[in-house]
Amino acid sequence: MKHSNSTGKMQLKNLLVVIVALCCGSIAYAHHSFALFDRSKLTTLSGTVREWKWANPHTWLTVVVRKADGTDEEWALVGSSPNMTARWGWNAADIKVGDKVMVDIHPARDGKTIGELHTVFLPGGKVLADPGGQTGEALAGGATNLPTQPQGELYK
Amino acid sequence: MKPAPANVPRNGAVSVLGGCVGTLIALILTAQSGIAHAAAVPQSKEENARAWRAIASVPDFWQGTWQSVSPIADDFPTPPEYTPSALEYIKHYKPVEDSPFANCKPLGLPFVMNIGGMPMKFFQSPGMIALYIESSGMTRFIHTDGREHSERPNPTYLGESIAHWDGDTLVVDSTGFAQDTLFQMGKLDKATLAQGDPSPLSGVIFGQHGPNLRLVERMRLVDVNTLELQTTIYDDSVFKRPYSLAPRRYIRGIERRNEPQEWACTDNRDYLDPTTGKLEYNVKDKAQGR
Repeated sequence: MKHSNSTGKMQLKNLLVVIVALCCGSIAYAHHSFALFDRSKLTTLSGTVREWKWANPHTWLTVVVRKADGTDEEWALVGSSPNMTARWGWNAADIKVGDKVMVDIHPARDGKTIGELHTVFLPGGKVLADPGGQTGEALAGGATNLPTQPQGELYK
Repeated sequence: MKPAPANVPRNGAVSVLGGCVGTLIALILTAQSGIAHAAAVPQSKEENARAWRAIASVPDFWQGTWQSVSPIADDFPTPPEYTPSALEYIKHYKPVEDSPFANCKPLGLPFVMNIGGMPMKFFQSPGMIALYIESSGMTRFIHTDGREHSERPNPTYLGESIAHWDGDTLVVDSTGFAQDTLFQMGKLDKATLAQGDPSPLSGVIFGQHGPNLRLVERMRLVDVNTLELQTTIYDDSVFKRPYSLAPRRYIRGIERRNEPQEWACTDNRDYLDPTTGKLEYNVKDKAQGR
């Protein structure tokens, strides 16, 4: 098992990032819903990309998740604008239909299969962090301290 | 009868002789309007060079872009003196439960200056400063040629702006706003709000501004990398006297990632449900609201 000190530190760091985002993140949620998603929760989806929409005001990632009972479920995930994500190192061509991805999301409060993108883990190892909820300083400063693995509770 | 304007093409007269009724009407209308438009002549190379040199040393708003580091909503720490009709509106106001600006409709002034996430960029040329606001994909055109406001500016989302330098402060005076630009008229008392509501819009009172809305924005550099914007709202249908908002701040970004980008808003699957006041995502039918 790889549960080393560095993983613990990483988790602490990510927890701090989440706390900062929750406390001080009134800048970058400009266009997002404030009520639909539970930002205190992080859920990890493992699935296949069905649609990747690079458009303003929001990016949309549609992922098909195969559940433990063998049925497929479609999740529609809203992300920050292409403009914001591009400044944090995303490229429209990073995600392709058919990609197997892991995604950390803030789930909907009402249990619908929609969520707000937090971090995307691509098959090649690239990690894309959504800048939503970050401070103006963090947005201008670019992405730092990217997690190396999903941080949420795995959805089954 | 006044002479025809100098900028009517000469072949217009030929067309009239040839029986072109449209041109004849155009000529009569132009002549009767009594506005003798002088032919616009570009400045000479030397005059133009002098004009550019004259603006070369104003405070540096120009390098890079400016990212907001202030909260979205204004705080209204000093209670404004509201008009009776505004007080009546606030008495019955139900706070928005969700973002009222999640789709592609432009916000307009004043609230567009509050939206962070994406930066804005200033440009200047003799007689005009342009301010590109990426979060709306719109550009403010701010006239610095010494003109007065138009008598009857047509309503627009960004209004009509004229400006001058007061020392190192750019003073921008704007009027002529569309009636549906997003306008924050105040903030509800904290005591009336749910504890721990994480929304940056909790307690914000959005409402309609009046027809005479006028904004005076004072923009200055606090230090080389910090821009401050202080706005005073003149709106006699909402406030009994002008209300001065707390200054907002923006930080300079000069890296490539902070360069301005296009903002084409094309995906309207988010919408505010008018019956519930809540934001919804129509993820099944992406054509919704286009």
